[in-house]
Amino acid sequence: MPVLKHLLAVWLFLFATAGATAQEQPRVVAVNHPLQYFAERLLGDDADVVFPVPAGVDPSFWRPAIADISMIQSADLILLNGAGFATWVDRVSLPRSKLVNTTAAIEDQFIVTESITHSHGDGGEHSHEGLASYTWLDPALAIAQAEAVAVAITARDLASAEDVDARLAALRRDLEALDAETAGALAGVANIAIITTHPRYEYLARRYGLSVTALEWEAGATPDEAGLAALRAIIEDKGAQVLIWEAQPSAAAFDMTGALGLRNVVFPPLAHGVDGSSYIEAFADAVSALAGAGSE
Amino acid sequence: MNALYLAFAYLRYHWARSLVLTLVAALILLVPIATQILLSTSERALVARGDATPLLLGSRGSQLDLTMSALYFSDERPEPVAMREVEAIWDSGLAVPIPLHSAFSTAGHRIVGTTLDYFDFRDLTVSDGRGLSILGDAVIGAEVAQTLGKGVGDTLVSSPENLFDLDGVYPLEMPIVGVLAPTNSPDDGAVFVDIKTAWVIQGIGHGHEDVVTAAEVAAGSASVSNAAVVQYQRITDDNIDSFHFHGSQDDFPTTAVVVVPNDARASTILKGRYLDGENPSQLIAPAGVIQGLVDRIFRIKSLLDVVTTIIAVAALAAIGLAVFLSYRLRAREIATAVKLGARRGMVLRLLSAETITLLSLSAAIAAIGAAIVSQNAESWVGWLLALGA
Repeated sequence: MPVLKHLLAVWLFLFATAGATAQEQPRVVAVNHPLQYFAERLLGDDADVVFPVPAGVDPSFWRPAIADISMIQSADLILLNGAGFATWVDRVSLPRSKLVNTTAAIEDQFIVTESITHSHGDGGEHSHEGLASYTWLDPALAIAQAEAVAVAITARDLASAEDVDARLAALRRDLEALDAETAGALAGVANIAIITTHPRYEYLARRYGLSVTALEWEAGATPDEAGLAALRAIIEDKGAQVLIWEAQPSAAAFDMTGALGLRNVVFPPLAHGVDGSSYIEAFADAVSALAGAGSE
Repeated sequence: MNALYLAFAYLRYHWARSLVLTLVAALILLVPIATQILLSTSERALVARGDATPLLLGSRGSQLDLTMSALYFSDERPEPVAMREVEAIWDSGLAVPIPLHSAFSTAGHRIVGTTLDYFDFRDLTVSDGRGLSILGDAVIGAEVAQTLGKGVGDTLVSSPENLFDLDGVYPLEMPIVGVLAPTNSPDDGAVFVDIKTAWVIQGIGHGHEDVVTAAEVAAGSASVSNAAVVQYQRITDDNIDSFHFHGSQDDFPTTAVVVVPNDARASTILKGRYLDGENPSQLIAPAGVIQGLVDRIFRIKSLLDVVTTIIAVAALAAIGLAVFLSYRLRAREIATAVKLGARRGMVLRLLSAETITLLSLSAAIAAIGAAIVSQNAESWVGWLLALGA
């Protein structure tokens, strides 16, 4: 008789498990890691969150394959960053009813960058306005984006409104704490001229009053002679002391820039996640490294 | 039994005359029935398309033009409406707006630029190939595939809408990536592209071989000239990354917007927002417009009914005359039968049997014809409606 009971229990367990797995989870696709992190925090186990860009590929310029597009089209919610991030979105067909631009409410806070001028046909010369895209490097803007994600999740009934509200409150607290810690840590760096290897840090600089000049180096690449010449020119002009790399370069690259009197810092722009760290942890680590370099 | 046998033998002997009489009588029976079937099917098809489209947003002007261009992809050209109207409806959270850009055509078929939401809304499925994925992709309706003999892997080239509009519209070669399953609706005769592809055809979005920055121009390291920048007429793997759009998407045009409200309350609120006659946009219920059109058609139909009745009476009179004349011609034959001992009743039965046999054959042919019309009415009406567009 006890054997029968055990068999019944096992059968019931298997039945319940099969039922649970047969029910397909809603899927949310995010175009960058911060949005993936916000969605994961806000959804908990209520949905699968996918960031489809392979490691090592810049999410801004990713070109999805047909299979990727098909997967994204079938998602329940597609989280866009806006601000000109992920231009591939303009060149693929996505269901408008599932798209959410997480920066739609903060467009007045966008930073306009250099415009691109060209001409074609009989239209004459014209310009395209560029926008700084890495909005999540300003935690205040990141909070606005997280709120937009929460509204989209609730509107599509992907999780209960009470759960989402509670999770958003916790996420907002964490981001506000990150903002406060960053403001404190970078207070001493505000007077130091900083060079970045790529224009990624406009929102970070504006939020914390940093003086940043950007180069156009490939992420983690060892600079060539022209790159070093441009770097020397900026050092001379701005008196820069700190160089921010978006990815870890070779030791030789560190040596080259170190020889010019610069303190090297790796500050990942977090469009991709950092292994073993959440968005907030990686952000805090990068801020510590920058604060450390500034105080040396 | 004898009368029927003799009547059939007589009709068979005079087979040519019997055949003509049978066919004429069959046609007199069939024409009004077939007309009725086709008209009621087209009424259903017209009203169903209107009923399946809750609301339509477009520029203020002819409601019929707006309805015909959005529902039947006709040649009517309502003034375009800006995409900011679409975004306004999204922002309201009251409805799902689906833009339709139908300003261009290819090989006699309308190019319909829209979003993927349209395929879900109309329940359109791909029978061959895949759906729209990349800028430039085209998915064709079943009738387009059949008419043009094209399928997945072939290409279509857009035609300029206006021969003299050489400045703004550039032909675009589009690969066919999918063929839709037939639906017996105007969707069968359309070529679907992403609305962004329609904007590329319109010249709002385009690619470049190269772009230069303002700083480069200022520094003299780059020059701007028309010849240096190539405009593509085909979107390929090599140039797709250079495609971009000018200006704010809010200003981009669309021909009409299908608006699917969340519920009756949302529908009422939305309708209220567009009641102001000063508003350059209008929100209409296409079902009402279509019903008005159908009512007008059916007023004409009642006139047609009278004409059909007059023709039928005339044809019946002609048949009666033919039968009467044939009886006159057979006067001697009938007199011989009487002399041989046939009674008047027998002669009358013989003649009645011939007439009943003829009418029965005509009725059978008319019934078969009506069944065929009834069975194919939907597809024929669908084809006719698409042809009319």
